[in-house]
Order: sequence, then C-alpha cells, then structure tokens
Amino acid sequence: MDFANNPSFIRQGPRPGTRLAAAVLTSVLLLIGDSQYGLMDKAREALSVVFYPLQRAVNLPITAARHVDDFFTTQTNLKAENEAMRSQHLAMAARLARLETLEQDYAALRRLNQLKSMRQDAGGLAEILYTGRDPFSYKIIIDKGEDAHLRAGQPVVDDQGLIGQITRVQPLTAEVTLVIDKTLMVPVMVQRNGIRAVLYGYGGGVEARYLPVHSDVRTGDLLVTSGIDGLYPAGIPVAQVGRVERNPDAAFIRLNSMPVAGVQHGRYVLVLNEKTNVPARPPEPVVPVKPKSKPSSDDSE
Amino acid sequence: MSFERPKELLKPVRRRFIYTTFALAVLLELIPLPDFIVGWLPDFIGMLILYWVINQPRRISVGAAFAFGLIADMATAGLFGQHALAYSITAYLALLRQRQLVMFNLGQQALSVLGLMMANQIIMVVARMMTGSAFAGWSYFLPPLTSAILWPLLTKLLLLPYRHHNV
Repeated sequence: MDFANNPSFIRQGPRPGTRLAAAVLTSVLLLIGDSQYGLMDKAREALSVVFYPLQRAVNLPITAARHVDDFFTTQTNLKAENEAMRSQHLAMAARLARLETLEQDYAALRRLNQLKSMRQDAGGLAEILYTGRDPFSYKIIIDKGEDAHLRAGQPVVDDQGLIGQITRVQPLTAEVTLVIDKTLMVPVMVQRNGIRAVLYGYGGGVEARYLPVHSDVRTGDLLVTSGIDGLYPAGIPVAQVGRVERNPDAAFIRLNSMPVAGVQHGRYVLVLNEKTNVPARPPEPVVPVKPKSKPSSDDSE
Repeated sequence: MSFERPKELLKPVRRRFIYTTFALAVLLELIPLPDFIVGWLPDFIGMLILYWVINQPRRISVGAAFAFGLIADMATAGLFGQHALAYSITAYLALLRQRQLVMFNLGQQALSVLGLMMANQIIMVVARMMTGSAFAGWSYFLPPLTSAILWPLLTKLLLLPYRHHNV
C-alpha cells in the first residue's frame, strides 16, 4: 500500500487503526501511571506553569470587571461601614467609661477589704444606696440592715477614716449619720500629742469646739478618735485641722477642720462593731441629752 | 438525500486556522465560570476534534486527537490520559465513517455528534471509575446534548472565513 514513490498527498503515515492502537495504549499507560503511581505529577506541574499565563490572561477581563464593580460598590459599603464603626465607637466609649468606674470600685473594695482583714472589730462591707433627701441633714443609706445584724450606734468607716455612725436600722437598709451632720459629735484627740476634744459636725464640715486658746494645735494635725467613749475604737482618723484661729477675746480656739474620710463620695463603707468590753452605762440622767454624744471629760486638760 | 448545505466551493483551509480554533477552545475551557454554567457547557475541544476530523480528515486524525486530548487533560485538571483516550477513540470512529458523515446534512451530523460525544463521556466515566473515582452523576452527560444543539452553529461559524463571497 505504502510505496516509496507515492506522491506526498497519498502518503498518510500509519493506518488509522494502528494510530488508534498506539493512542489508546499510550492513554491507558498514562491513565495507569497517573492514577496508580502519580508519575505525571512532575509533568503536570511543568505544564501548569505553561498554562498559568493563559489562565491569567483569560481571567483578566473577569478580574478587571470585578475591580470596577468593587470600586463602585465600596463607596456605599464604606459609608455603611463608617456609620457602623462610629456607633460601635460610641458603644465602646460607654463600655470603657463603665470599665473605669468598675476599676475604681474594685480598688475601693480592695482597700476596704484590706482594712477589714486588719481590724478585728470589722463588721461588714456595705454599699451606699443613696444619700438622704433632707438637705439639712447629712445622712446616707447603706444596703445592709437588720439582715446583717447591724445596730444603731455602730461606727462606719471607709479606707481613709471615720464616716459616721448608724443611727437607724431598717430591715434591709440602715441610715448612717455622717460626721458632718450637726447632730453628730465625735470624741477625738490630736494624734500628735493626745489633746482631747469633741468634734462637732455643723452641716457640711466639722469643727472641734471647746479647746482653750493655749492648746497646742497646729494646722495639719490629724484628729483621731480617742476611744474614751463606748462607741468608737481608738485611733480612727476623723479630720484634719485646717485653720487655727486664736482670738484673745474668746475663751476657745476656732478650729476649722476637714473630714479625712470620703464622707461625701465613695460607694463602699465598712461597718465596725461596737466596743465590747466597756463598763456598764451609768444610769440615765434626768435631763435629756442629745443622743449618741458624750461630751463629758474631753474639753481640755 | 437532501442537500441542505449548498455544494459551494470553499477556499482551502489553512493549518494556522485549525490550530487557532483549538487554542480558542482551550482558552474557553480555562475561563472560570459558575458551576451551574460549567455543568451545561459543551466540550469545545471535543467538538472541534470531531469537526476537523469530519471536514479535514487528512489534517486532523487520531494522532492530533490524542495530542489535544492531553492538552484538554491539562486544561480541565483531570486524570492524565482520560481525554486523550476518549478523543482518539471517537476520532477513530468518526474517521471510519468520515465519507458518510461529511455527506450528512447538519441535523444528521448533529445526531451523530451527539452519539460520538456521548461515547466520549462514557469512555471518560469508565476510565475514571476504573481508576477509583466515584460516579459523577447523570449531569455529566449533559454537555453532549448542548454540543449536539450547538453543532450547526459551530459549522456555520467555522465555514464563515472560507467562503469566497458572503452569500
């Protein structure tokens, strides 16, 4: 069939059947080699490198269209995103503020807890619920009452010093009269030299009255509870002496002092137990005296 | 026998044109398209092989079918040799009846193309299942249908550059 002098258009190479046999054999070998032995992985890698630019070229119009699409949609997307971010920022700011408050509360509670573990007479921690409504009296309401076995008369402190005294106990709450209330008097002494005095609240501040003009009191002296009454343990800081006015005309010094405790701020207080080993109270005098004030024997020395 | 295709004189087909059509078909295979379109897309390389085997059997025959099958394997990231096997067998089948096929009108040709493309898919399914793949589902046999439907269009399109006049 295939002669050497055939014209070129007749010469067609091997017959189709032969070609098919060769092609099928090669394909089957390739299939087996590829699926069973992974022989073609290398060839595939090499060819994929050849195909890569083609794939990129074919993808080019599509990616370009996608870019254009992105450009136009992002305007609205950005606006929406911006809005969302802004509201989120506001929410975060609010949360942050709350976190800061919590941190402050936590620090205050830690300090009070330390104080509580240091003192044997510590009663219980309490939270200030609200301040009294009456603008003429300085009282706060705490969240512990009869349920926590509080009694009227117990001193209330914070981590800085004395705040006041429990004056009324309700089942779940208790009313604390602050040291700056005009009905509260605290027996104190000057920490530096032990001069005793009585600290009177006068509505918004405290002052030590009935100290002789020659008493050794200076600005900056710390007034602490003297502990000679039946209520306050000795040594609780109450006030710091501010201005000392010695007027020769008057018999006594005018001492303006500032309470050291966070009387008007803070959220947590510590209720102390009353002193226990005190002698029995003297019989009630006939003349009625102001409750919870014992101004005896601490005028001067 | 009715001749729907006019027996017109065509310019000789250039080898360059044949390879250009194959390059375009490979590029079409590479276009990333959504799955639901890919499921319907005809096998362009297989269609072209059948077209050229039927119309230019001396240029494109079993060997070329095998070579383009390997390229198709690459482009579709299939198993090496599956398209090559299927294309060489269908090219051979088309070549056996080439003188008959070239006389058919477009409808008859489309029917035979449907059969041949179906044979393509069956060979590939068998090859894949022999080598341990799972059956891909009956939708695997959708492309031959679209190929047969598009066959007249492809024929008209590929004849376009070789008419003497735009009749």
